[in-house]
Parts: sequence; structure tokens; C-alpha cells
Amino acid sequence: MHPQVLLQNFKGNRSASIDEYRANGGYEALTRALLERTPAEVEQMVLAAGLRGRGGAGFPAGKKWSLIPEGAAHPRFVVVNADEMEPGTYKDRMVIHVDPHLIIEGVILTSYAVSAEKAYIFIRPSYESSALILERELEVARREGLLGQNILGSEFSLDIVVHRSAGRYICGEATALLNALMGKRPNPKQPPPYATEKGLWNLPTVVGNVETTACVAPIVRNAITGGSGEPAFTKLYCVSGKVKRPGCYELPMGTPLREIIEEAAGGLPEGSELKAVLPGGVSTRYMTPDLYDTPMDFDSLAKIGHRLGTGAIIVFDQHTCMVAATLNIIQFFARESCGWCTPCREGLPYIRDILTQIESGEGKDEMIPKLRRMSEHLWRTYCAFSPGAVSPLESLLTYFEDEVREHIRMKRCPFRK
Amino acid sequence: MPKLIIDDREIEVPEGTRVIEAAEHLGIMIPRFCYHPALGAAGACRVCAVKVIEGPVKGIQMSCMMEARDGMVVSTTDEEAMEFRRFVIELLMLNHPHDCPVCDEGGHCLLQDETVSGGHAHRRTSMKKRTYRDQDLGPFIRHEMNRCIHCYRCSRFYQDFAGGLDYGPLRLGDRTYFGRFTEGRLESPFAGNLIDVCPTGTLTDKPSRYSIRRWHGERGPSLCISCSLGCSTVANAYLRDLVRIEANYNESVNGFFICDRGRFGFYYAKHPERPRRARVDVSEAPTPEALREAAKRLARIAATHGPGAVACIGSTRSSLETMGALVRLCETSGWRKPVFFSDPAMQRKVRTAVSRIDKRLHVSLREIEKADFILAVGADPLNEAPMLALAMRQASRNEAAVAVIDSRPVVLPLDFERLAVARHDVEACLNVIMREAVSDEDLKIAIEKLPGGADGAASRAADFYTGIRNAGEGLPPEVRVRALKIAAQLKAAHRPIIVCGVDAVCETTPALAADHASILSGLKERAGIFYILPGANAFGAALLSSPIGEGASSFFEEIEKGEVKALVVVECDPLGQFPDRRRIEKALGNLELLVVLDYLPSETVKQAHIFVPTNTHYESGGCFVNQEGRAQFTPPVYAGGEPNRQETGGAHPPRVFRSHIPGGGPEPAWKLLAPLGAAPRGEAPELRGNLRSILDGLHPAFEQLADSPIPPVGERPSTYYARFLAEGALHVGSLAPQDCGALAFASSDAGEKAPGVGKDDERLEIILTEWTFGSEELSSYSPYILQAEAEKEPCACMQTEDASRLGISDGDLVALRSAGGGGLTVRIRVVENMARGCIILPRHGRLAWQDLEPSPVQASVERVKK
Repeated sequence: MHPQVLLQNFKGNRSASIDEYRANGGYEALTRALLERTPAEVEQMVLAAGLRGRGGAGFPAGKKWSLIPEGAAHPRFVVVNADEMEPGTYKDRMVIHVDPHLIIEGVILTSYAVSAEKAYIFIRPSYESSALILERELEVARREGLLGQNILGSEFSLDIVVHRSAGRYICGEATALLNALMGKRPNPKQPPPYATEKGLWNLPTVVGNVETTACVAPIVRNAITGGSGEPAFTKLYCVSGKVKRPGCYELPMGTPLREIIEEAAGGLPEGSELKAVLPGGVSTRYMTPDLYDTPMDFDSLAKIGHRLGTGAIIVFDQHTCMVAATLNIIQFFARESCGWCTPCREGLPYIRDILTQIESGEGKDEMIPKLRRMSEHLWRTYCAFSPGAVSPLESLLTYFEDEVREHIRMKRCPFRK
Repeated sequence: MPKLIIDDREIEVPEGTRVIEAAEHLGIMIPRFCYHPALGAAGACRVCAVKVIEGPVKGIQMSCMMEARDGMVVSTTDEEAMEFRRFVIELLMLNHPHDCPVCDEGGHCLLQDETVSGGHAHRRTSMKKRTYRDQDLGPFIRHEMNRCIHCYRCSRFYQDFAGGLDYGPLRLGDRTYFGRFTEGRLESPFAGNLIDVCPTGTLTDKPSRYSIRRWHGERGPSLCISCSLGCSTVANAYLRDLVRIEANYNESVNGFFICDRGRFGFYYAKHPERPRRARVDVSEAPTPEALREAAKRLARIAATHGPGAVACIGSTRSSLETMGALVRLCETSGWRKPVFFSDPAMQRKVRTAVSRIDKRLHVSLREIEKADFILAVGADPLNEAPMLALAMRQASRNEAAVAVIDSRPVVLPLDFERLAVARHDVEACLNVIMREAVSDEDLKIAIEKLPGGADGAASRAADFYTGIRNAGEGLPPEVRVRALKIAAQLKAAHRPIIVCGVDAVCETTPALAADHASILSGLKERAGIFYILPGANAFGAALLSSPIGEGASSFFEEIEKGEVKALVVVECDPLGQFPDRRRIEKALGNLELLVVLDYLPSETVKQAHIFVPTNTHYESGGCFVNQEGRAQFTPPVYAGGEPNRQETGGAHPPRVFRSHIPGGGPEPAWKLLAPLGAAPRGEAPELRGNLRSILDGLHPAFEQLADSPIPPVGERPSTYYARFLAEGALHVGSLAPQDCGALAFASSDAGEKAPGVGKDDERLEIILTEWTFGSEELSSYSPYILQAEAEKEPCACMQTEDASRLGISDGDLVALRSAGGGGLTVRIRVVENMARGCIILPRHGRLAWQDLEPSPVQASVERVKK
């Protein structure tokens, strides 16, 4: 078993209580930070730990906090992005259910570091049970004096509100999330200005992923106490698809793909051979078996033209039709486009239509170069939604062109009897 | 200033210019749908893609989202960029119907242009097209959602620019729908601009749908005369039928937009009952004959009773040419000087306002957008001059503070501070704000610097100073608290503007507002005064009216006394537009001769002994001076005549050839006036439509005017004037002097102030006011404006406390009775946000407000039992 930081208080079928959280050093970081350290020092600890955002982009969290200009306006806001809608991803839900106070402490520390007065946890509506857990535990924290006016006798005051999203994948995009939180349409907003300068209601706002936020308290605790177990170097991998034990595993950041699938997830079922892997949710490119030994971290994957994304590993075996899988993904994205810019709004349904034709045996050879061109054009969109959406398509045409041509040649899907 | 190269050509542009705009300066029109100069860039349509060869971010980029940077090299013709643009067009056409021939936008459609110029001609998919259900958006706009390309221009205009809340994008992805939550009329009075901003046929002009192709019509620059702002428009006529008004870009007045009153209010020009033939007593007569008969009868009356027995009434909707000709006619004939305003007080207020506008204080509509503090004093912009409200919203979006001091329940499409006080407390509020915003020392110095501040009129200046020092004693505490808040905003402001109405204010208020603006202009970076005047040419009328306080009402008195025996009414409708109708009816009945010249089918026209039809400004052109003194010449758009549709009952062009224009009898009023005069026949002054020759010597301000452009002989007027299309209405000069030289602090001289109304008085003061739709004279002849109003009954407003004291609830029908015996029955709307002690009554066409005496009127209120 690898060292567990984020999931160390795993209690099986229930969440850890505040006492159980405290028993393992919980709220120690907060107590000492509030009383002994300045906000700038807390920010520095996170920066030094090299914590990178776990929402998918991998931007250093401490650096993001430091983007709030000196002397910027108040009130400031911290928003935790719990709108976890990337298919195959359930790590945030896992953390909330296992150890809600880990997140609460993380939010308070983040807010302290950036001098925010109010924090929102923006949560996906289908995570109602997670929202209830958070609300219940926030109330506990309030009773314990960890939230509200003058937290733990310090000068610092904060309240946290759980906000239920109205739903939609695009709400997970930070700028769209802020629009949704303000009651507007969830259309992304291209910077400048950055949210750290003008976010919610034009005030400085830091948006962070749940897993990122969960990492904050252990980092600060370690930095202050000199303890061990650095969460910046573990990662929650969600494994699904053709494996024996699908699940969410906390492993050292950079664990090779082979080890995650073969050891943690128990390998593929009998008779299954690895055909492809989506390494970080459905907005990443397919990886082929020759990349089985790649270390699963931001930089190693970037080096070979892939992305870690959310770390949600989806495994496909030789019986899976890659055209059908990609069509499934494109259908999802076509449905979830916010409708702001043309290539995404109109292009994804267009691609869906072409893939449907190929899958149903009505494909033509000229569709392949057309799809390839379109997947390039769909990079020129307003936000990163569409480039993500066409990543599986582009890699389908790169690695599985033969399979696509097989569909066209046979005038049917070769995987269907 | 960054210097960049676009398509191998270098250009230097101001900091902050976008690449798409920089290219425009070079004459390169990069395709665009979502980008609009007034709405900014959205980055949504992606059709303005260019290739950045040198620059901070290289490769394919959207030229609307990129600011020009020094050393940038951009190619708009790069093959990769062009391919991407073609791809975007293909995507947009995936779901767009291919039925341009039956689309009303066809021919002036941006999507059509870009599709053709981009070379997209072949559909490469057999996908089913997406369809939507359309909504009924009211009488102005037709909705065809299937044509939508989702550029978001409509919602960015409607919600962001105009502050409307009832229209916008719904649903998402490729199901995104632009519409209302439920069907119904678009509530914003600026909704008509959606027709102009929509680049496809999704939102089109409903009244004129399927009646014209843009290239078929006679199309020319024109001017809106539905209020005093003078917005530029483009008028389209087809087969003698004026069919459509669009907004015309005017950099210093209306920008890109106009209000719906201006867009849909032009139907008076083609009203089926528009009088087109002259009439003598009960029988029709040719115009020259009617003029001869009128001149004969007028001469007889002048000979019998003296020239003072003839009086002329004009109006503020006439052109400067007509007004000037009327003044000349009276002068040469020795008649009484003409009046242009309903009553002496209004004339004095407008004259005061006009006398205070000069280059230091005058503010154009577009400059309102740049103010950082706007104080509206006795003004209700959305009702009196709608486009002013839109300009104020832009200021507010740029973080200007806006405050309103008015008795009426003012509504604006922006957040503002409100001081809802009675008419006679408006000045006190203004004084309190000034006292709290300006230090005593600054105030004293500023007063001294003003003309009249340090010399013989010192006592007036002292009164003014004392007025400010002691202001606010009688004001309720909550009003004072709000006034302090407004004062703090004014204190922090650098570019404050005072907006002042003249309609529902005390007589002294316009002068006081100018005094305050003058003081601020000495203390701030820039300060200005912006008046809202009653009528498109009220400024001109004020310059041409006599300094003696006279109004039309003065003439009715003279008629009663038997002093005036003949009345010439030029483009004015006293029976429909002035209060005290019974008295006017009686007076008109006592006249020996009533001559009316007009183009409206008005009540007054029906009463005329001799009637002569005149032309609208669409047919004859004319010069109008807006509220800031901007003289604008509007050229004729078409030759006039009875619309072919009306004449033939809709049959397509008549095959009968004629030598005359059917219904083309009317001529411009200024041409018809001279023959009425006392000068012997044959020697009438020759007025050639030449502005200068008509106005020469009538007022020194007119020396600023350039001559009105007249097409050379042999050139078709519409072709000639079309050349000016891009320039908006033709600006022929500013009548605002460099320095008005008016003495400040004249406010204490003017006529009586409005009487105070006791709180427990059973009588309430009736304040007659404008409504966006339905009260303005010209537009109230438009069936579409009436239709827009039809769903809500015009009502009078009453403050909550007054209503509860008098036992009246919202929606009650009440009888208003004045002491003089006038009165009417009206439905009451109970409103919190207005002054106590008064009733706000719109001069709505469907209310018998004319049965009241001239203001100030106090009336008892009684609930009508069902």
C-alpha cells in the first residue's frame, strides 16, 4: 500500500467525522497558520510545495493565488470547483465523501492565504449527497469556531456556502462557473481580466479544484511541522473501463500507467487485451499500449503529446469499437457545448453526424480527411472545451485510422455481428 | 501608437484599436458577424480569423479579439485563414435555410454577403436542418429563429447595451434559442434596433415585411422629429409609400441606434386620411386657388379690423424654413408675431434654456456617454427623449453615477438614485446637492467668475448663494439623506452633466440648472447642461419667437376679447395638443377665418375654413435644430404623393402613365406661406428653399448656418442626397454660440413658481407629461405605435400614501375634477417611487387630458363606482 494522504481517513461506507479528522492531525495546520503565520507565508508554503491544479490544466496553485494584485479590492472570494462532470472522473466526490473536513480546512487555508471573506463550493447537482455531507460538516465547523467571525480567535473571518449548480459540463470551466455562480449564462469568458483580478462581481476570486483544495491542509501542516507525507506528490487516479477492480486510487504522482492498471486496478479481465487508454477523462487523447510504461504526471505526458487531465483512466480492450467509443464521447460534447462560438456549437454536431454515418456503415473515404481537417479547425474556438472534445477524434484518426477505414469498407461496424 | 502591417500595408492606429478596426482603416473589411462597433467584440462567430505572422500570439487568431500591437504583421488573405473562414461559413450555413428569395433580409443580409464572398456554395452534408418554433414578439419585430446564426448581437444589444430583461439566449449548445421566456411584445423601447443589428433575417421589421427590397426603394438619409434629440435615420420609400425607417450612424448624436418611437412613428406621412387636397369652406379647391382665397379674406380682415386682428400659430415640429417663412409673413403683413409654443410659460422656459447653451456648456447626446456623473433634474428621459436614456445607460455602464430629481415615477434602464419630490422642491434638492458637493469657498469664487456674479446684479448672485446655503429646510429627512449621497458622487466626479427637462418643471428650474452647470464647469474638468426641449425644432422656435412671453393660449384670450379675428395655424393642432379644449373650440368658433396648413388629419384641420395641405420633411426636407443647437438639414427622401398601395388597393405598379403624381399636391409649408401675405400679388418674396435667404436677419445665431444643399438642376434628389448617407443627417452648423453671454442668476426674475401643495389637501396637482408611446403627436398617428400600446391602458400615477389617504387602490377608475370645471376619468396606477401631492397624467391620445385647464391644475379625485 502506498502512503495515503488525501484518503488516509477512509472509513469504508461513511465519512470521517471532525474528531477522526482531528485525530490524524486535522485542523492543526489551520490553527497554527492562523495564529503563527501570515497569509503570505501560507501562500509561499503552497508555492514551494509545487502543488499543481488537479482540475486538468495543472497550473501551480500557489502561483495562481499570487496573481491577486497587491492591494486588490475586497471582498475577495474563493470558489471550489466541485462541478465534477468529466466522464470517468469521481475523485472529488471521493474526497468529499471520505474526508469532508480535509476540504473545509483547505478552503479556509486558501481563503486565509488570499485574504478572502467568502468562499463558495460550487457543486454538481447530481452530487446532492455530497452537498448534504458538506453542509452538515460546515455546520459542525461553524459550531467549533472554525468558520464565522474571528476564526480560532484570530483576526480572520470567513464563511463557506455550498452552491448547487444548475448542471451542465461547461460550468466546470472556471470562467463559465463564475458566470453561473452570478446567475448568468455559463459562457466562458476569455481573459483578460483574469478572475484573480476581476472575478465574481468584478472582485478578486480564486477558483480551485476540490482535489487541489484538499491538498492544501496537508501541505501547510507538513511545512509547519516538518512532517512527512507530501500530498503534492500523490494523485487520485480514477480507473474505469475494462479492468478487474475499477476505482479511485491514491498513488504517488507519476506512477506508470502499467502499474496503475495492473497492480491497483487488478489488470484487465481474462481474455481482454489492452487496446487503448484515455489517460485523463474524455477530453484527452487515446494512448496506445506502446505507451504503457509512461509515468502518469503532467510533464511526462505533455512531453509525448498527451495530457494528464483529471487523471481519470478509461481502459478499452480489443472488443471495443473505437469509432463507437469516440462517437459516444462526441455526442456528449455536442450536447454539452455552451453554444457561444460557431466551431464548437455547429462543428461538434457536424462531427457527430459524420461519425454516426461511419458507424452505421454509410461512411465514405472522403470523410476521413474531412474529419481530420475539422478536428484541427475545432482548436480555434473561444475556450478549451472544443480542443478537448476533438482530442479523442484526432487520436482516433491517428492511431485507429485502419479501424475507421474498415467501417467504410465493410459498410458496417466490424464489431457488430 | 502601435504601427502594424496588414496585408503588406502599414498603418498606425491609436492604442487599444482592434486588428479588425485597424484593417477597416485600410479599407479591408474582414468578415464579421458578432463584432459590432457599438457592441464590441465577442469572439463568438470566429469568422474574422486572420493569420498573425508577427505578434505576441502567432497563427490563426480572431482579429476582433486582438489589440493592434507595434510590429504586428497580419495577413487576411493567408490560405489557412481563408480556409478556416470558409469552414465557419459552412458551419453557419449547415442549419440556415437556403431560401433567400423569400427572406425579407435578402439583399441586405450580412450572412448572404459573407457566404457569397467566401465562396461557399456546396452543401457537403445531408444532415437534417435544425428548426425552431418562432415567437410573436409584438407589432414591431418578426422572429424567424431558423435563420439565426447565434452571433449573440441581439442579446448583447438588448441586455447589455439597452438594459432589457425580457429577451435573450435560452437553452444551450446547438439548441440555443434567442427569444423571450414566453411570447409577447418586447418591453424595451429600443427593441427595434435588433432589426438593424441582426445580421440575418431572424429579426426583421414587421410592419414593412415583404413590401420592399432595399435596392428597389428610394433610400436616403433623414432625421427623426419625434423628440428634440434629432437622431439620424435612413428612410426607405417605394412606389410613393414610405415603408421603413432604419437607424443611421451619427457619430455625435445617436451613434448606431434609434428608439422605437422614431423607427415606427413615421406612418403619419402615409396615413390613409392624410389630407392631400386644399379646401375652401366645404369644397375642395386647387392649392393656388385656396391660397388666393385665404389671402383675400385675410387682407379683408386686416383692412377691416387692423393687421393686429390676424394671428399665426406655428409649432415646434416645423422646419426652420417654415418657421422663418411664418415670421417673415407676419412681419411683411404687419400681423402679430407668430407663436410656436402652447403657453407663455413654456415659451419662457425654452427661451431661457436656449439662451444658456453655449460652447462651454453644451453637450451632445454622445458626450452624455462619457460623463461620470449625471443629474437629471425634472427630466424623465425614457418618456421624453428615449435615446437620452440609452446614452445615460452607456455612461452608467462606464461606472458613472446617475441621479434623478423628479416628481414622476421615472424609470431608466440603469441603476440610479432617486429623489421623488414635488415640482416645487426640485430646486431645493439641486441646491442641497450643490452645497454638499462644493466647498463654500469654491462656491463663492465660482459665483464671482460668472457673468453677473460680481457686478450690478450682485444682489441676484447673493440671492443665489443664499438659496444654496439655506436650501433643504423643508425637505423630508429621507430625501436629505439621499441628497447627501448624490452630493458625495458629484464631489468625486470630474465630468458631471446636468440633464434638465422643461416640461414638468417650475419656470425657474431651467435657469437654475444652467447656473449650477456653469459653476461646476469652473470647478471640474468639464461640466455640461443638457436640456430636453418640447419638439424637434423647439430650439429654432425659441430663437424665432418674440421675447415677450406669448403662447398660443395668449391668442385664444385675444380671440375671446374679439381682438383677433383670423387665425393662421401652420403645422399645429391646438385642439389635439393643447389643454383646455372647450375654450379653444369656442375660440375657434368665434373666428371669422381659420386657415390651417398641415399634413396631419388633425381635429384642427377639420375645423378649418380654408385648408392647405403641406409636405412632411420626408418629401420636402428641411432644417431642424436639436436641443443642443445642432442645426441639421434633412434632405427630401421621395417626391411624395398618395402611396400606390392606397391608390390602387394594393395592385402592383399601375400601367397608366400620367403627367402628375397622384396625391402629390402638397407643397412645403414655407413655399405656401408667402402668397398668404399682404404684399400685392406677383410681388411676394421669392423663397427658393434657401435656408439663408429665409432666415437672413431673423436672429444673429443663424449666421452660423451653412446653406442647405440643393441638388443641381437635372440630378435626381434621392441620388444626390444618397451621397450624404454615410454622414447621417447633414450637419449645417451649430447654433450654440461660443459664449452665450447670458447673465447667470436670472432664475429669481422669472414668473411665478408653482404653488405648494399641502400634504392633507384633498386636491392634487396634475402634472401632464410625456409617454414613450402614445403621447407624442406625430407617432400617435402610427397604427403600430398604437398597437404596441394597445395591451396596456394608459393610466395616471398616484403616490401610495396619497392613494391610501384618499381610499384609492391600484387599478381604480377615478374622476379628476379641477376647480375650473375641467376633468376626465382615468385609471389609477398606485406607485411608490414618485412625489406625494400630485397626479402624473400622460398626454396620451386615448385620454381626454385636453379637457383640463392649462397647468398648474389642481384637481379633486373621486373613485368612480362600478
